[in-house]
Amino acid sequence: SKREIKMRKLDSTKVRPLKSEQLLHIEDHDFALRPGFGGSPIPVGIDVQVESIDSISEVDMDFTMTLYLRHYWKDERLSFRSNKNKSMTFDGRLIKKIWVPDVFFVHSKRSFIHDTTVENIMLRVYPDGNVLFSLRITVSAMCFMDFTRFPLDTQNCSLELESYAYNEDDLMLFWKHGNKSLSTDEHISLSQFFIEEFSASSGLAFYSSTGWYNRLFINFALRRHIFFFVLQSYFPAMLMVMLSWVSFWIDRRAVPARVSLGITTVLTMSTIMTGVSASMPQVSYIKAVDVYLWISFLFVFLSVIEYAAVNYLTTIEERKQLKKRGKASGMYSIDAVQAMAFDGCFHDTDVDMDLTPFSDPCEEDETRTSETNVSNVDTTRLKRKRSLKGNVGRIILQNNHVIDTYSRIIFPSVYIVFNFFYWGLYI
Amino acid sequence: SHIFKKNHDMTKAWKGRTVQLLRVDEHDFTMRPAFGGPAIPVGVDVQVESLDSISEVDMDFTMTLYLRHYWKDERLSFPSTNNKSMTFDGRLVKKIWVPDVFFVHSKRSFIHDTTTDNIMLRVFPDGHVLYSMRVTVTAMCNMDFSRFPLDSQTCSLELESYAYTDEDLMLYWKNGNESLKTDEKISLSQFLIQKFHTTSRLAFYSSTGWYNRLYINFTLRRHIFFFLLQTYFPATLMVMLSWVSFWIDRRAVPARVSLGITTVLTMSTIITGVNASMPRVSYIKAVDIYLWVSFVFVFLSVLEYAAVNYLTTVQERKERKLRERFSCTCGIPHSKTMMLDGNYSESDANSLAGYTRNQMVPEEEKQEKMVVHLAMSNESNSSRKRGLKGHVGLRIIQNTHAIDKYSRLIFPGTYIFFNLIYWSVFS
Repeated sequence: SKREIKMRKLDSTKVRPLKSEQLLHIEDHDFALRPGFGGSPIPVGIDVQVESIDSISEVDMDFTMTLYLRHYWKDERLSFRSNKNKSMTFDGRLIKKIWVPDVFFVHSKRSFIHDTTVENIMLRVYPDGNVLFSLRITVSAMCFMDFTRFPLDTQNCSLELESYAYNEDDLMLFWKHGNKSLSTDEHISLSQFFIEEFSASSGLAFYSSTGWYNRLFINFALRRHIFFFVLQSYFPAMLMVMLSWVSFWIDRRAVPARVSLGITTVLTMSTIMTGVSASMPQVSYIKAVDVYLWISFLFVFLSVIEYAAVNYLTTIEERKQLKKRGKASGMYSIDAVQAMAFDGCFHDTDVDMDLTPFSDPCEEDETRTSETNVSNVDTTRLKRKRSLKGNVGRIILQNNHVIDTYSRIIFPSVYIVFNFFYWGLYI
Repeated sequence: SHIFKKNHDMTKAWKGRTVQLLRVDEHDFTMRPAFGGPAIPVGVDVQVESLDSISEVDMDFTMTLYLRHYWKDERLSFPSTNNKSMTFDGRLVKKIWVPDVFFVHSKRSFIHDTTTDNIMLRVFPDGHVLYSMRVTVTAMCNMDFSRFPLDSQTCSLELESYAYTDEDLMLYWKNGNESLKTDEKISLSQFLIQKFHTTSRLAFYSSTGWYNRLYINFTLRRHIFFFLLQTYFPATLMVMLSWVSFWIDRRAVPARVSLGITTVLTMSTIITGVNASMPRVSYIKAVDIYLWVSFVFVFLSVLEYAAVNYLTTVQERKERKLRERFSCTCGIPHSKTMMLDGNYSESDANSLAGYTRNQMVPEEEKQEKMVVHLAMSNESNSSRKRGLKGHVGLRIIQNTHAIDKYSRLIFPGTYIFFNLIYWSVFS
């Protein structure tokens, strides 16, 4: 009995061997040695259930996923006698005392095993020594993203599992049920993406210093929902371009109006563009949304330039007109009586410019009486001749209205053509 | 020999009472009570301390709660005379078996550990155990924003045992629906917490079996006031501001244009501001509908003025053409013109005299006159003819004022109608 007491005292944490230790022969189990140590590689099956994809970050180019990771292997040292052939579930803290595979996530940035309320670990041992080891893990892993077609893009990401220490001579990692090893929760969804497919694949990875390792891949493709960006970027940009066309319909003499219209649309376009690039990584190539926004910006910019041209040409004509008026002022004094009759007509408009045209038609009438007999039939030509010789101001109005008139048609049609090309190319 | 025994245990002078009392040395914490036997029932009781935050962008919520477990472990029974329970330090938990409850779909969680681990362990003489801890957990909640911000979200926190299926551990609410209590002062700034209630269900995992899952469900109704003040009210004010443009003289071109453009810019800023704090969902939200319809109203007011201005310019041109043509009938005596001038008593223009029925027209211009006559006769309204013959400037004001006049009624009327429909649909 003294010897018994001594034996018990030697194991200072426990008085006598506990049931699980006795059951699984934990004391004889050396967790530093893998099953079949020195012999053939041990096959470890992997099964994954994805609980959720928490977030995809474009700026960091990574994704965060929470999953249940299950390992299946056979360790004969843990076999026990049982008449029911049922598995036994043990507390997670037992894994500190037995050998478990050392799977890690390649290219992961951060990861942790959830530990509330206790470490989320399950250990289940079958009588023949088969072990089921399950963990709940959240992992943030790298995903290289290509934004050339953003936001009409599809990203392919993958999570990679590999054993850290054991190469393929020691540990063979494989998907337990082939492609069906990967299952997902029913309501797994992301707000911005549509998860197209989950697939499992495996490969070998070579490290020059350490050899060949089995690597398992969890691949998934994410297709971005375009709706948010249509509402946030494309639609406002389109509206701004349309708003800049309004300027062509406004009288060209309203200088402050047309200029402020053009400038404010330029400012709004600039704000939209800044808003889009705030949430994007600073890549060195041009994205699809950049193409659209910059071309829309160009349209808006050109409408401002167009009005500058119109205004400049107007000023030139006015100067010419002033010079002409200087010559014609004498003529006007001759036809004062006639001119008086028409005073009331031009109350609304620029009196200076239109006084001259007044006198011209009256003046020209006498000279034209002979001409009218000839060109009686063609009234349009007569009208035009009359107006040309007559109201010079009206000519200016008509001429620059030409630039505006053309712009009213050219700008919208070119923009529509651009839209056809853009959406045809990217969708 | 007594002394020998005591010296061997170096941490304590004599065996601590706990260890002796609860026979912790003999207790194998890796094996659940009644290991190999029937399932152990574990009752759960929750008191919610606070709902810390609800995040729309991450679609999750953070909750702090007291989580209490009740089960019976005969290995921990001890003799007692007064049948009172004994409370032990939280660190004893490491040495005994405890249920491994975890929060399904949780992103982050932790047991508070200031000043020491917030854990309570209370053992009753018959082996009943009360195990309580204070936990903060951030869990996923799928939110539907199609009625944002007039929406209600239903979230739930799920508890489950990680390792033990329902054959090993039966998780249940200790007092049925009264197991869930909340602090009196539990409140959120942005939401009204409608109700907390509990449910329980079974969850199936294809690899591991059936588990008991307990749910803590609560419904949150968003307070609309903040969004009224932040988004709806400014948008409505902007639309009303754009109506001011219809009351301003149509000749004040810069004023009306810049009014319209600035309201468009402000609406665009409001829209961008709302989307900054929202997840990028692929459907349209209630607030989006309101803001975009308001944006369309403001945009249309700019287009309306462009139309007004364009028609004004066109009329001016026509009138000037007409004036010129009639200005050529300068040969008509003034008296004759006065006869036809009776119509224009209110105007100061008499220049268009003689352009209709007077036959005192020089032969040369008869044809042009006829053309103009025909053009004139196309006008259906006699009043219109009168106006045209009369003061051209006044005619212009009358013509476009019609568009402005109608707009003053149509725009507010339509907007009020839209508001009635919107608020009745979504409230």
